[in-house]
Parts: sequence; C-alpha cells; structure tokens
Amino acid sequence: MTAARARWLGVACLVASIALSALGQLAMKNGMRHLHLAGAGEIVWPITSPPVRAAVFWTAVGLVAYGSSLLTWLVVLVRYRLSYAYPLLALSYVLVYVGATQWPQLLEPATPQRTVGTLLILAGVALVSATGERAER
Amino acid sequence: MNDLLLLIAVALLSASQVLQKVGASRRLAGTRKPSQWIAALFSPELIAAIACIVGGTAIWLAVLYRMDVSRAFPFLSLTTVVVMAASRFLLREPVPLHRWAGVALIVVGITLVASS
Repeated sequence: MTAARARWLGVACLVASIALSALGQLAMKNGMRHLHLAGAGEIVWPITSPPVRAAVFWTAVGLVAYGSSLLTWLVVLVRYRLSYAYPLLALSYVLVYVGATQWPQLLEPATPQRTVGTLLILAGVALVSATGERAER
Repeated sequence: MNDLLLLIAVALLSASQVLQKVGASRRLAGTRKPSQWIAALFSPELIAAIACIVGGTAIWLAVLYRMDVSRAFPFLSLTTVVVMAASRFLLREPVPLHRWAGVALIVVGITLVASS
C-alpha cells in the first residue's frame, strides 16, 4: 500500500467510524421507540405487525452500524495514536445531537444548554486535532 | 451502588480502548490478507478488548435502566480522561498540552448536554 493510499484509508475509516457510531445510536433509539409504541396499550401486537417489524428493523440497523463502527475503529487505531483518535470519537455525540433533534421520527427538543455543550465538544475536538498529527503508531 | 457500577463500566470501556490499540498495533498493522485480519480479530488482545466492551456496555445499560441518563452520562465522559491518561502513562504516547485542554472542553460539553 502506498503512503498516500494508507493515509486516505485512515481518514476514511475515522470518518466512517464516527458516522456509523452516531447512526447506530440513532437507529437503536428509534428501534426502542417503536418497541415502546408496540408495547403501550392493551393490544398485544403480533410479531409481524408494523410496529414490531419497525422495532426489529431499526434495532438491527443500529447493531450492524455499531459493529461496523467497531471494525473500522480498529483500522483507525493501526494508524493513529489512541490519545489523538479517541477524543475525536466525541464528534459522534455532536452528530447524535443533531440527528436526534432533526430526524422527524425522533424530534427530541433542542435546548440552549445542550447546544452550548455541543459547541464546546466541537471546540474541544478542534483543539485535539489542531496539530494535524501525522499518522504514526 | 449505581455510582460504583458506573465506575466499573468506565474502567472496562477504557481498558477496551487500550486493548484495541495494543491489538491493532501488534496484530493488525502490516497485515495484507483477509485470513490475517480474521486471525488478528481472534488474538488474545482483541478478544479481551471485545469482552471488556461487552461487559462495560452491559453494566452501562443496567445502570441506565435505573438511573436518569442526565446523571449517568457525565460519568461516561470520564472514559475520555481515563483513556488519555492510559495513552500517556501505559502506552507512553506523547500528549501535548493543548490536547489535554481539548479533552477538558469535551468533558465539560458532554456534562452540559447530559445535565439539561
């Protein structure tokens, strides 16, 4: 593998791992939401009913995304120091916040305090990555 | 009791990161073929890493069932600090000062998000 290609792979896996981790959290949350809907009230929903199927679907999407995030993370760790890469994972908190407040299926309330906290996380991630560390082990 | 469990979860999740890093550096670096990747995944370091992450996540979920996420989540951000300290003192990585400052901002930010 050429150096340029290895570098590209490291960056791609870092971005993918952060995004997949956030997608996993949001999908699992949505799966639990559907399960909650299916479990509320008097009716016992059959396994094949839409709410149960949606719950299984989104939970499965979440688990696959989470597992893929773990695998791509290993590739990240081959290339970057742990003390550099790990804080960058906090970017997934920011993505989860944006997703949870904007995704029409979840629409959790955004509050000023949470938004400030999210911006602080972004500032912290920027500070951690400020040196533009070269790939090393 | 819940606080103690949370600290155990933080310890397990942090240990998993260190083990993943050791496993990635020792077993995965320089591999070319898919068969080598599979072998790396089943190395003692990465098996232990997976065990730690499964155990840590299970404890985390068990606590979350009984505790507000707003109270539990800031504990989880401790993981970032523990992983940084472990990188510095166990893995002997150089950690420049501005990176510690960045981690401090992240911890404050996570606490703000979780406690509102």
